Amino acid sequence: MTRLLTFFLRRLAAAVFTLILMITLTFVLFWAIPSDPANFVYPAAQHLTDYQLAHANHLLGTDRPLLEQYASYLWHLLHFDFGTQWAGSQVTGEQQLVRLPIGPQLASAVPQTLSIIIGGALLVVLLAVPLGAISGRRIGSVSDRTISLVALVGICTHPMVVGLTLNTALGQQLRWFPPGGYCPLIPTSGAYCSGPVDWASHLLLPWITFALLFLALYTRMIRASVAETMHADYIRTARAKGVGETRLMTRHVLPNAGLRILTMVGMEIGTAIGVCIFIESAYGFQGLGRLSVTALFGTVGLDLPLILAVVFVITLIVVIGNLLVDTLYAVIDPRAGQMLRERESKSLAGVI
Amino acid sequence: MTTAEIAAAPTAAPEGPWRLTLRRIRRDRWTLVAACVFAFVVLCSFAGGPIASAIVGHTSTDQFPYAANENFKPVGPWTRVSTASYIRSDDYGDILPPRKGTPKTLLVLGADSVLGRDELLRLLDGGRTSLEIGFFAVFVALVVGVPLGMISGYFGGFTDSVISRLTETIMSFPLILFLLFASVRLSNTLTPIGYGSVVPEGVAAVSLLIGLFTCFYPARLVRAEMLTLKNAEYVEAARMVGASTPRIIRRHLLPHLVPGLLVWGAIAFAAAILLEVGISFVGVGVRAPTPTWGSMLSTTWGTVFSPRTYEAASYTPWQTVLPTVAILLTVVALNQLSDGIRRALEPWSSS
Repeated sequence: MTRLLTFFLRRLAAAVFTLILMITLTFVLFWAIPSDPANFVYPAAQHLTDYQLAHANHLLGTDRPLLEQYASYLWHLLHFDFGTQWAGSQVTGEQQLVRLPIGPQLASAVPQTLSIIIGGALLVVLLAVPLGAISGRRIGSVSDRTISLVALVGICTHPMVVGLTLNTALGQQLRWFPPGGYCPLIPTSGAYCSGPVDWASHLLLPWITFALLFLALYTRMIRASVAETMHADYIRTARAKGVGETRLMTRHVLPNAGLRILTMVGMEIGTAIGVCIFIESAYGFQGLGRLSVTALFGTVGLDLPLILAVVFVITLIVVIGNLLVDTLYAVIDPRAGQMLRERESKSLAGVI
Repeated sequence: MTTAEIAAAPTAAPEGPWRLTLRRIRRDRWTLVAACVFAFVVLCSFAGGPIASAIVGHTSTDQFPYAANENFKPVGPWTRVSTASYIRSDDYGDILPPRKGTPKTLLVLGADSVLGRDELLRLLDGGRTSLEIGFFAVFVALVVGVPLGMISGYFGGFTDSVISRLTETIMSFPLILFLLFASVRLSNTLTPIGYGSVVPEGVAAVSLLIGLFTCFYPARLVRAEMLTLKNAEYVEAARMVGASTPRIIRRHLLPHLVPGLLVWGAIAFAAAILLEVGISFVGVGVRAPTPTWGSMLSTTWGTVFSPRTYEAASYTPWQTVLPTVAILLTVVALNQLSDGIRRALEPWSSS
């Protein structure tokens, strides 16, 4: 137990370090890039006078020294205060600026992205385990090659194309599914739609889109694991004892793949969030991906506070996810304390 | 590419490791098929584009407005359309047929969009751009990543832990976001780099970005290999007889890295092509008239800001199917090649 605790604490320290490093990196990187926050205050102006520039910078707080800005940013982050974004700022008086807070936007975006990722990951595992088992039992057979090819087709059709096709065909024309949009999981009275059933029906197509993309990677990994295990001595022993093929697979072969799936899930959290940009866009969600795209490609310019907040939240999700995976790993496999996680080099789906 | 490199590698003994690998690959039917398919794609993209363009008499960026009907639906395969450069309309705004006597031209695979560009030529030229991006991205990733991994693995200690931490942090973050951010901020500086006119504008920028942000994978690969190799007995022996560190790295360690990097390279090539599609869908990739497989898809489906819904009245399936099939062929071939090379290099590994 003590060993597990030390392992957890060490991982926690590493996670906090990663988080601080990421915050600092993005802060330095983003502030080093020239941006014109004043344009957000006077979005309609063609040309800003020197007074307007200085005034806007003063109101936004961007005229303060960088270190001071960094310190105050960290201080607010510690209180989970993400501050206010630049876009949508309005001058109401000589010294007053109405600014939109970032917190509520993030609060509505995070559940959408997490819903896609968590549900999609479950679907991937549900599909990949049987497919990988079938492939891995006979490497090079017709079923193995067919499964590999189908999985590769899933990677090669971009989630944007798959998402828009499914959404148009099944959602808007055949009306089998709701035509895009997100429904909160927790029932709220007066909302257009909410509750678990609505939530799941709105998310089913995004999950399928997500699963199609990641299927190849996981099928391949389970296939390799199964193929390796099939030659083990204890499998022969189990066969000799008269264990049926189904039981052999579910009890003797597949559990071996479990740890590798876990490792992979931990590694792919970041990629999954990246892919959500396209899935959210195809299904009209307003998640983290959309939020980062609007922050990056807004009509006025880069909305730095929003970008920083989104990057922070994404890093937080990745770090917490990895911490969970690491701890689970240590609980399942006691050797994990000594052993560094075997990080396989990412393959195809990992980098889209 | 990869097979050729193996073939060209110098062999010390009659049955050196490279020759052995080549022999194993020759016996592997599927890998041979994959190599042929990949060679076919490369040939079509680099030689096929100019040849086809010369035969039909127009280029991939020529626009034929008459190739789309009043619903903006482009014509299907094997259609002859007028080469008129604008659409004539009468006083009520109705479309008139082209003026008599304007020559017609053949669109072998139909038109790509409302602009009416030749789909076949765009497919071939787009292939060229996409393959160039894939190739240069892998090249950049290797040039940056291999030294990084070597320094990290060979010297170890503090340098290693700093590089590893940094690498892990960056790798855990969504790559596509980095790419998007970088392409927004740097596109004005990077896009004009074109090496004269060897590659279209923007190709160098996109591949540089993809390469820089994927260089961590070869770096990790090299580092892991280095960690196990640097204490090998033959390296110790080399050091004992007085070989310098650069010589040890060059003569004794580098050759061991080639197999792993080849396997990675083929996959990364495919991944870079797929990444380019993603970048196109955000609308920051290679500049507009130059076709890529990604931009062909995004002309049909829109970008993440304004995704389009599919309307049978104004789209043909060809617009989606053709680039997707081209990507699929390339990616499947590269994937199989990578598998085949690994099997040939390490026949004992099971899959």
